[in-house]
Amino acid sequence: MTDTTLVAEHPLLERFPEGVTPDERKGYEGFIVAADRLVEFATALRDEFGYDYLSSVTGVDYLPDGKMEVVYHAYKSTGGGALVFKVQVPRENPVVPSLVSVYPGADFQEREAWDLLGIRFEGHPNLKRILMWEGFAGHPLRKDWKEAYFEEEKKPFGSRWPGGAVHRAEDENPFGKNVVYPPDFDPEKWTPVGDEALYAGLREFKKDDDLKTEQVVVNLGPQHPSTHGVFRMVVTLDGETVVRLEPVMGYLHRNHEKIGERNTYLMNIPFTDRLDYLSSMSNNWGYVQAVEKLLGDKIQVPERAEYLRVIMAEFTRIVNHIFAIGTLLNDLGAYFTPMLYALEERELILDIFEAVSGSRMMCNYFRFGGVARDLPPGVYEKMRDLVFERLPRKIDELDRYLTENEVVRARCEGVGVLTPEEAIAFSAAGPVLRASGVPYDVRRADPYGIYDRFEFDVAVRYHGDVYDRYLIRLDEIRQSIRILQQALDQLPEGDVIFGSPKYSMRVPAGEAYGRVEGPKGELGFYVVSDGSANPWRYHVRAPSFINLTALSRMCEGDKVADAIIILGSIDIVLGETDR
Amino acid sequence: MGDPFALISQWFTNLLLGWGLSESAATVIRLLVGAVILATISMLTVVVLIWVERKLAGRLQDRPGPNRAGKFGLLQPIADMIKIFTKEIVTPAQADKTIFHLAPVVFIASVLLMWVVIPFTATVMGANLNVAVLYVVAVGAFGVVAVLMAGWSSNNKFALLGAFRAVAQMVSYEVPMVLALMVPVLLARSMGLTDIVNAQSVWFIVAAPIAAVIFLITSMAEVGRAPFDLLEAESEIVAGYHTEYSGMEFGMFYVAEFLHVWTIGALLGTLFLGGWRGPGAETYPLLGILYFYIKTFIGYFIVTWIRLSLPRIRIDQMLAFNWKFLTPLILVVLIFTAILDKVLEVYAVSGWGHALSMLALNVVIGWATVQALKKVEKSRQRRRPEFPPRPVAVAPKSE
Amino acid sequence: MTGLEFVFVLIAALTLFSAVMVVTTPNMVRAALWLILALFGVAGTFVLLNAAFLAVVQVVVYIGAIAVLMIFAIMLTRKVMKDSGPQTNSTWGLAALIAAALFGGLTFALTRSPAATLMAPDFSTVSDPVAELGRALVSPQAYVIPFEVASVLLLAAMIGAIYVAWKK
Repeated sequence: MTDTTLVAEHPLLERFPEGVTPDERKGYEGFIVAADRLVEFATALRDEFGYDYLSSVTGVDYLPDGKMEVVYHAYKSTGGGALVFKVQVPRENPVVPSLVSVYPGADFQEREAWDLLGIRFEGHPNLKRILMWEGFAGHPLRKDWKEAYFEEEKKPFGSRWPGGAVHRAEDENPFGKNVVYPPDFDPEKWTPVGDEALYAGLREFKKDDDLKTEQVVVNLGPQHPSTHGVFRMVVTLDGETVVRLEPVMGYLHRNHEKIGERNTYLMNIPFTDRLDYLSSMSNNWGYVQAVEKLLGDKIQVPERAEYLRVIMAEFTRIVNHIFAIGTLLNDLGAYFTPMLYALEERELILDIFEAVSGSRMMCNYFRFGGVARDLPPGVYEKMRDLVFERLPRKIDELDRYLTENEVVRARCEGVGVLTPEEAIAFSAAGPVLRASGVPYDVRRADPYGIYDRFEFDVAVRYHGDVYDRYLIRLDEIRQSIRILQQALDQLPEGDVIFGSPKYSMRVPAGEAYGRVEGPKGELGFYVVSDGSANPWRYHVRAPSFINLTALSRMCEGDKVADAIIILGSIDIVLGETDR
Repeated sequence: MGDPFALISQWFTNLLLGWGLSESAATVIRLLVGAVILATISMLTVVVLIWVERKLAGRLQDRPGPNRAGKFGLLQPIADMIKIFTKEIVTPAQADKTIFHLAPVVFIASVLLMWVVIPFTATVMGANLNVAVLYVVAVGAFGVVAVLMAGWSSNNKFALLGAFRAVAQMVSYEVPMVLALMVPVLLARSMGLTDIVNAQSVWFIVAAPIAAVIFLITSMAEVGRAPFDLLEAESEIVAGYHTEYSGMEFGMFYVAEFLHVWTIGALLGTLFLGGWRGPGAETYPLLGILYFYIKTFIGYFIVTWIRLSLPRIRIDQMLAFNWKFLTPLILVVLIFTAILDKVLEVYAVSGWGHALSMLALNVVIGWATVQALKKVEKSRQRRRPEFPPRPVAVAPKSE
Repeated sequence: MTGLEFVFVLIAALTLFSAVMVVTTPNMVRAALWLILALFGVAGTFVLLNAAFLAVVQVVVYIGAIAVLMIFAIMLTRKVMKDSGPQTNSTWGLAALIAAALFGGLTFALTRSPAATLMAPDFSTVSDPVAELGRALVSPQAYVIPFEVASVLLLAAMIGAIYVAWKK
């Protein structure tokens, strides 16, 4: 958070007397940059002011004002709050210069903004749709875009209960007649046009070798056992060596953000569970944090709730990392044994989640101003037993079995290397960033909740390869256990939610960016409120989506078998990647 | 009379002769019936093996394993069989049909043919070939051909990649495997498996432990079991060469693979663990079969155990391991074994003296290898990349 | 015709048929598979001659290594599943002539040579033909020189292959 009073005297304004103005709308922060000065501004920001980490790029459609806005959140990789800057362009022809040349990590995010909002980024090397398919009509996140089955702008839909009787839109709108195809489109004759261009772009024939070998383009996915879901890597292979790789995603796309903008604020909490379905508690927290920022001092989180939030988030981290290690070993070809050892611990933690929230995976536990319920009797003892007795022992056991294994080391060391500079440039986050030697952890760099009260170390490793990404997860589990031990010791009595639980609430107009250190990396929620009961804009900075930006860089020159473990070491969940 | 098998065989021949058949016709029929029985027993073993393997996998992975169908899940293989028999056999549209359907047959034949030469007891075996050891390698070659046929005819890139890997792997691991097989041949001075068993008054594992281990490793690579299961690495190339197979055709690959692992156990038992030999086996051949099965199970268990414990190695590492480590090592072992064997023959040392001298030689070679490996390992220590460690990112203290 | 002769005719017919198929099948991989069958037939002939060792070596070397590498090379260089072009090129007539001449010449030479009248030694009387073969290969009275010459040739080929592959 930048202090709004400081914005007016920020040295940036001196550096750019023209083209940069503070954003003076009520509830907004940061600077508005003229489109033609953007690249210059961003370069200066990175090189002169130290904001070298571009966390989030997204667009907002301000339909009533006839404007499109692109919002950037930049951070210093040495820690501290965000510097927000925005570009406003007319809605009819939104063209913004691309920042990929300055921050390569903007690549996928700009493509996403083009795909969903129709903002053209000039100078983007590969500006095509990323989540929707080529040939899709319109840009769904625009406020005037209506989906099939469209009923009303805002939930709760009045039309669902006319006169108290349940009524479904689908009944009036039978299958086959509810889809609007673009002009000149015949679904029977359609062939995926994007693919040929994709393959052609990946093929290259120049080789200085006198042996003429053919390069093969192989689709790993969308139906492939190792892509952790429906994800596709189009790989050009020279023998077994990866020449080029391009990730193709969006198979699980459901336009989470559009649905989120139709929902009321409260309805979005269970909806965030579905993003990274392995770590729903962290997702809850990120969203709740953004909305609480908007609410400002209208809401105060009770002490006990703060502790419960930390406890649940750290348990989630353990669940996620232990699962990630298991699946990484599966990708390495260990026949499910490490996976099943890991899952055993995960189940025990999920027992706790079930006890407190009623659900093992879709927890829906956080609320604005606290958490949904207090601990049921007996759970505290269970948690203590896990944290003080069982988990440390079991993590050591996992460590003993896996870390020094010859095959694991031979397969993982030196594979998929990402240097610290590249990691920052590609906006990598979480374990991927920290394994590359950048000790950046949101819990320390930009503390939220009560993390500043706990003793823990930011885990960091320096080789930036798959092996370090594996080790860093073990380190982080150990640090999480440390935090949990302190939190359980200090857990105070008291309320768990501020005031009485409310179904609907008035959120003052403005914008807020809440970010937490999710297990997979920095999970951010950018929420814009217009003062009504539903968010005007609801954007998710999904770490497993943005971490994929660096995937092709990590894979080039390695073997095809390595590409799979590199993907496994990034640890993506398609529910979050595709949203 | 302690040999029921000879009795049965005699009775059967007499029966056929009694029906008025000529002697040679009776022999042909007797051999055919023997072949059918041998193949059937091998295949039925697999049914049990599937249960054993799944139960073993379960126990090693902290779970109970199959326990629903029948007592201890004993009927699980039956259920599996019913399932796989009733499944449709799908042929890809662009496949080369003849070769596609022929490949599983060739594959399973290549494994079944190995059982021809394996002696169950002193008298029970398919054929007492004098080149049995080479014969085992030769029929194994058909497995390679079958994999190529399957991978190519499926018209599927993953299948083809799997076949490529399989060929690279099988052809290269054949070299140290044959060399490792030469060690017991050298010690027994015969290529016949019966002679090799007979020569093992002291099990060859004592005289040739390195060869035994290399044989086990290389034959695991030949079968494509973890950590050498690159030819069907499911996380990389789906199911490799049998990606497109379904129903019983897939089942044939599956069964052949199980049987192949069991065969490795049998070969290990025969070549290095004394085969059917054991107390009382000479007088009671049935006891010999029991010993043989126990020894086979030892090899089988080791292979399964390794499979469930280790991740998969990469293809270049797999080839480097073969050419840069296994092959030179077994060459050294073979040469020194030959020299020492000759020396011992000159001094007329045999039995335990012979075996222990050989063991000493193996220990020396093993120790030298470990020292050499340590040196290599030291030179490969990965260094921390050279850049100054960054300070931990912290929020600036607010004033 | 005895049973053995019958089996011989069967195997010979199979071998010849496969050999013809090798050169007439348009599909390269199929041709290679026919070649394997032909080589297998040759191995069968060795078995009929009581030369089990040669039969097994035939399978190991020719099927297990050479044919497999041929298929491997074909698969690597050709488009998968596509039948390759015509079976003949412009010089097929000349090639046929040379092949016929060679066949005729060899037949002539072999029938005239004293070796044609020699009877093969009966292997069944030898106690261990493999041991006999081994001794013959290293005995100065028999084949040690051809054996060593072949070894040197193979070594040279191997060094050459390594040299070719070494260039980065």
